Amino acid sequence: MTSVNQTAPSPAAEAPADAPAVLAEISGMLRTMLDEYGLDDIEITMETRFTEDLELESIDLVTLAGSLEARYGRQVNFAEFVADLELEEIIDLTVGQLVEYVVRCVRAAGER
Amino acid sequence: MAMIDTARETHDGTGSGTGDDTDQATDHDGPDTGADGVRLHVQRLSPPDGRPPTATAVLIHGLLTDSLASWYFTVAPDLAAAGLEVVMYDQRGHGRSERPGSGYRLDTFVTDLERLLDRLDITGPVHLVGNCFGGTVAFAYAMRHPERVAGIAVIEAKPATESWLTEISGILRRVATELVVHEAESLAWVSAHRGAHTARLAKSAARLVRTTTIAEDVPASGVVSEEQVRAVRCPVLAVYGADSELAGQERWLESVLPGTRTVVLPGQGHSVLAEAPTRIRELLLSWIHEDETATGAPAVGAAALEADAL
Repeated sequence: MTSVNQTAPSPAAEAPADAPAVLAEISGMLRTMLDEYGLDDIEITMETRFTEDLELESIDLVTLAGSLEARYGRQVNFAEFVADLELEEIIDLTVGQLVEYVVRCVRAAGER
Repeated sequence: MAMIDTARETHDGTGSGTGDDTDQATDHDGPDTGADGVRLHVQRLSPPDGRPPTATAVLIHGLLTDSLASWYFTVAPDLAAAGLEVVMYDQRGHGRSERPGSGYRLDTFVTDLERLLDRLDITGPVHLVGNCFGGTVAFAYAMRHPERVAGIAVIEAKPATESWLTEISGILRRVATELVVHEAESLAWVSAHRGAHTARLAKSAARLVRTTTIAEDVPASGVVSEEQVRAVRCPVLAVYGADSELAGQERWLESVLPGTRTVVLPGQGHSVLAEAPTRIRELLLSWIHEDETATGAPAVGAAALEADAL
């Protein structure tokens, strides 16, 4: 999503963008959410599916999008990412797919 | 969404979510308040590259198993990409908004929308886009504030007439029995036949019905007469699935509001937004653009945009 606050600093400069680091970040965000649901002992890997394995619903993914943008800056545009996906594909999304997307975005921004 | 002062007070006072929320809420999302100070979760998408929006679209989701995610994952990004300022919010009791124990009559949902737009400082006329119950909210809002509405697009929805009340009351009675009294069996059935995600949504809906008075409140809503519906003057687009229980509704709407553009999509049922998002997006965009061309409407979102940039 494109935000209108043009003066916000981009946090991406200091965020490490290799897959293990991003997986750790996203796992942390997910654990915070799952804690609220009382589910705190689920292992999160690249293969974990948001809906089937974590029982998250679509609104949780919207919340996750906000956390990702706060952490990595506006180049991680979840709304744009999912705009190209069918609803079924979004429901079947794995943590790994999202990790790879974030890594791509942060690298692309670094090369600019 | 930039947090405005009135909202920040509410946010701090309620201490919702985690510590992380406070940081992330400063930019593009976060709670705002509706009627009775209930916290509402808002998400906004703006046109890319800081372009000023050509109009503002407010997307209103349906009852029970719905949330703003239904827009976020279907038409919202494309509407923003096409140049619109897009405002989505979770209605009370739904998604990430607060779930008060009572206060679920239609009028209260309409007041939520009123307060929300006030708080966001969106004063110019907006395009309201409502799915199912969200469409009923859109109609009711346009009757309450004709001057604040540029147009209404509804998907699988009708105004709050006597027949609407009868139908939605029946649905809520059925849901209350199926999802609450027989929750475990119902959820097992949904999970087996409709998949994990629908089961997850049904679980949230069951919680909403079990922990609030929504199943009693919505049927206690006030209704509008045909005369009141006739008073709606803004452009109306109404989309229905040909296989939905609401099919046929378009003929009534055309007779009451002769200027209404109605579209019936063959092979589609009630969940046409989720099933045919591309088609819905095309219909919404051409309808909004036509309206802009017809009225030469100014960029009504520009004021809100500037307010946010502060």
